[in-house]
Order: sequence, then C-alpha cells, then structure tokens
Amino acid sequence: MIKVRIPTPLRPVTKGQGEVETKAGSVVEMIESLNSTYPGIKDRLCDEMGELRRFVNIYVNEEDIRFLTGKDTPLKDGDEVSIVPAIAGG
Amino acid sequence: MKREAQDGEKTIVADLVIPKTILDDIIAHAKELTPYECCGLLAGTNGVVSHLYRTKNIVAMEGAQNLSSFDSAKAAHLERLSPAERAEIAFVMDMQDFSSAKKDMRNNGLDLQIVYHSHPHDPARPSVTDIKIATDYEEIWPKINLPIPAYLIVSLMSPEPDVKTYWIKSGCVTPADVLIR
Ligand SMILES: [Zn+2]
Repeated sequence: MIKVRIPTPLRPVTKGQGEVETKAGSVVEMIESLNSTYPGIKDRLCDEMGELRRFVNIYVNEEDIRFLTGKDTPLKDGDEVSIVPAIAGG
Repeated sequence: MKREAQDGEKTIVADLVIPKTILDDIIAHAKELTPYECCGLLAGTNGVVSHLYRTKNIVAMEGAQNLSSFDSAKAAHLERLSPAERAEIAFVMDMQDFSSAKKDMRNNGLDLQIVYHSHPHDPARPSVTDIKIATDYEEIWPKINLPIPAYLIVSLMSPEPDVKTYWIKSGCVTPADVLIR
C-alpha cells in the first residue's frame, strides 16, 4: 500500500481524512485510484492536459516528483506520498 | 527562537542576518509588482541569508484559491474579485518556481531561512490569512526536508517601505530579531 498525506484544503474531498492508503505503481495511477474513491481530487491536482497544477507539489518519500520523473514517477509498496499545497497568504 | 548567526569568525546574536543588497532587492521586487503582492524565498546558512529567489504569484490562476489553505471567508472574498484584483490582496506561490529554488538551495548547501511577500495596501504585519496558512504549513516543512522559516513582510502602504520579520508558530506571532548589514 502507498500512504498518501492529504493537505487541509483537500480534506473536504477525502471526507476529512488527512492520510489515506491506496494501491498504485506510479503517481499517475495513484491519482486515478484516489479519484475513483474520492471523485474530484484529480481535477484539483491536475490540469486538463493531466499535468500537475502549478499550485501543488507532490513528494515521494520527501523527494519532489518534479525532479524525479513527474507524474510517471514509480511507486512501490510502503512509499509515502505527500501532496503539498502552495505557500500562500493574504 | 534565538540563535547565533555565524559571520566568519564572529558570532552575532540575532535570529537572522540579511545583507542590505538583498533587502533592497526584496523592496525592488515589491515595488515592481505593486499594486499586486510579490512573493519569494530567502536562503542561507546558520541564519545568514545569502540568496534570494523571486517566485511568481499565481493567485490569479484558475483553481489556485481552491488548493490553498485560505479559510472559507477569504476564499469566498477572492471568488468575487477579478483575477487581477485577487493578486492585490493575496498570493499563491508558483510551486514550480519553489521546486527550482529548493533544488538550487540543495545544490549549494543552503537552507530556506525566510518566506517573503508584500502588502501593497496594508501594514507590515501578518494578516489572519498569513497566520492561518503559516500554521497549516508547520507540519509540511519537515516532510519536505526544510526547516520552519521566518516570514518577512514588506509594506508599501506609506511612501517609505516598511519591512518586518516574524516567527509564526502554532498561531502565535513573535517578531524576529534581524540584523541588516
Ligand atoms: Zn500577508
């Protein structure tokens, strides 16, 4: 299983859960799999072209997927994924 | 969070040291973007800032306010404004820029020290939104291998820019002791 940390702004989509588990062989599969359980999550994370939106980062075991192989980054059992919202303020 | 900044052989007792040239660059960034908010990152070692990274404010980008930790009142307020107007009262950092900056910091053996942004129309103190998001972010920093930074705000409300730096911990704001030189 892959452990996925969900940031506060996405928790309404995951029924309030801050951490969820899923089975996936890559980041893109993880997003699809999460989206079937929590419809709408994919749209928050990816644009129409399926690319990661600029106001979100995904880290696999503390490593930024933008510097791995993006959404094709492979995942294996026991990996920990963090979805990180943009730094923001008013 | 008092720490000793190392300046060559000398130990300076301050939270942070910011070179005057970098401070001037932050103010220049804020002035270039006003009436919109600017944002960026300052990195260095042992509390001594040596690098500035400008990042884009993408609050006007479709969907940006939905994936940021804005509280519902702020999100509703942003929703009513035009994209340009949103950037006058908020910022959302481009995380692609953030990733590049983080990579550069790692390659140069630097740590993130400060997150900065501007308040074109308001005083140099954290807004309710700033405090909420900084508090939410406290649990994120360690997960992405970065220390909890200080927050610097530059206000352009008065003709003379006002710059202040704070620690935001568990919803509490305390002024940071900064040496400019
Ligand atoms: Zn602010």
